[in-house]
Amino acid sequence: MSTINVLGLILLILMVLVGGKAGLQSFLALLLNFGLLFLAIVLVAFHFPPLPVTLVVGVLVLALTIFMSSGDDMSSTVAFLASAVVLVILVLLIVPVEHWALVQGFGPEDSEDLEGLSVLVGINFVQVTTATAILSTLGAIAEAAMAIAAGLSEILEQHPKVSTRALLGDGIAVGKQIIGTTFNTLFFGFFGGFLALFIWFTGVHYSFGEILNDKIFVSEILMILFAMVSVILTVPITTWVMTRAVAGQRKRAAKQMSKK
Amino acid sequence: MQGLLKRRKVTLGLWVLVLLIGGLLVWATQHNAGLYSDPIMQVTRVQKGQTTKDEDDFHNVDYQTKQKLYGHILNGKYRGQKLTVTNTYSLSGAMDQRYRKGSQLFIVVHQHQHGQLTATAKDAKRDTALVFMLWLVVGLLLLIMQFSGFMAFLSVALNGVLFLMAIILNGSTQGARVLWIFGSLAVVFAALTLWLVIGANRQMLITLATTLGGTALSIIVALLVFHFTHEKGMYYESMQYVTQLPRPLFLAETLLGSLGAVMDESTDIISSLFALKRERPELSATQVFKSGRQIGSTIMGPLINVLFFIFVADTFPMAMLYLKNGNSWGYTFSMNMSMGVVQSLISGIGIVLAVPLASYLASRFMEKKVRA
Repeated sequence: MSTINVLGLILLILMVLVGGKAGLQSFLALLLNFGLLFLAIVLVAFHFPPLPVTLVVGVLVLALTIFMSSGDDMSSTVAFLASAVVLVILVLLIVPVEHWALVQGFGPEDSEDLEGLSVLVGINFVQVTTATAILSTLGAIAEAAMAIAAGLSEILEQHPKVSTRALLGDGIAVGKQIIGTTFNTLFFGFFGGFLALFIWFTGVHYSFGEILNDKIFVSEILMILFAMVSVILTVPITTWVMTRAVAGQRKRAAKQMSKK
Repeated sequence: MQGLLKRRKVTLGLWVLVLLIGGLLVWATQHNAGLYSDPIMQVTRVQKGQTTKDEDDFHNVDYQTKQKLYGHILNGKYRGQKLTVTNTYSLSGAMDQRYRKGSQLFIVVHQHQHGQLTATAKDAKRDTALVFMLWLVVGLLLLIMQFSGFMAFLSVALNGVLFLMAIILNGSTQGARVLWIFGSLAVVFAALTLWLVIGANRQMLITLATTLGGTALSIIVALLVFHFTHEKGMYYESMQYVTQLPRPLFLAETLLGSLGAVMDESTDIISSLFALKRERPELSATQVFKSGRQIGSTIMGPLINVLFFIFVADTFPMAMLYLKNGNSWGYTFSMNMSMGVVQSLISGIGIVLAVPLASYLASRFMEKKVRA
């Protein structure tokens, strides 16, 4: 058996042992997410427009991740809606910044890997790089939205009569707790991934100015910053969607009361 | 009430200050050409030239266009001199750049005869976009999260400095001890971050123990699996930007990658358990363990996803290029995505193992009565 299969099997067994049915569902969500990501690459390679493909795949990934790993209906619906809103805002930010920063495609550091490959493939790499940046933040958006929504629905459970105004403040308070650790997940996740690149920079003695304008470096740092922006935005947006949902629920409840 | 009003005013003042400083910084990077030793050209006019059609062996059709850039040099000994640079860009733009009016780019000046300069375009200047995004993140953090935002930023900045020092240390040992350097760095990272986020107390110690334990366990499991499967299907040669022995480097990357997520998770679980015990001190250790497992099993899936997308989405452009160059799906996966998937799986194992570990350590070593 290959290493990937064995590691995957161990992960599956551990997830079922620790999480039971929820663990199994989370594992399935992971598999499906991989399938969706691969599908996106294949579709773009078949000349489907990268941005619409990314948006559709992005919404599907968010839905899968959120609905398959948590049970509470109200908080998952809120988390999903909020993360979809964040995704749209993020696209509006990423598209102009990627155009401005000119970080599409590959840099001089990639030339060894590109040997023997034709790079003139007729697909706009600005859009491909934009799609990459959007996809790499999806996990972080889903996780942050779920954490905020879960925290808020717990507060609602304990204090069912809390005013929507107070709930807004609670959302920010919950956000303050998670932001520090979430940033670290992003920081270590990305820096772990780029360790080799940073070692390259010091080994080849790039100057500070060269690093700051290097295509690959800027592209990678922009990705971290996009992910951080998305996590920060998730806090107020999820809270806002939650207050709307609660207000709607209360209105309906009040109507039913008056009918009786 | 007056105190609240005053605090509002201070926050508002701080926000205006951040906005001003940020705007100034972005403006300054737009005009910082003097700081660079390489000549920088400002494009004032662009003339579009001929477009030619290209077709490669795999019937990929692309269009290459020549452009003439008119402008002047912003810095160095040729400062203020006017020049013309020709540049070629393609529709796909994977390795080339299309410049527009107002673009700034680095150039290489070739000769200096009869007062006429010739030069070739080297690369675009990108620092302004970088500074703008950095400012956006810091500004949003301070606006929405205020003090906690500042602390979060501080911990990331401190970790960044440590990371840089470790890389320099790694360079000075020729990469021979990469795993040791980054392994011990992980311990320092975790201790520093948790101290900043939680403070120095028992809760922090339990969280630290879980973080280190979970990460170490995942690496041990990975090494065992590597040993028994003889690393079948691991394509170290597919790793990018490798300048030293790839295997320890790969493990160091994985170690760092999973550390943050395991830390995130154990902080969540253990702080919830401490809060729970504070509210209901009568809970037994077994009950605490059970709730810990329940909290953990809902957050582990999304966390593994975070790392999966960070590790694997990054391979999108290269994987697509492989597909366009007539490679099969399987080969494209092996050469581009397999190492990222292995990294996600190892980190995932760490994340899952941290759940029972956190619950056990919290239930066992939490004080009988948690002080409020």
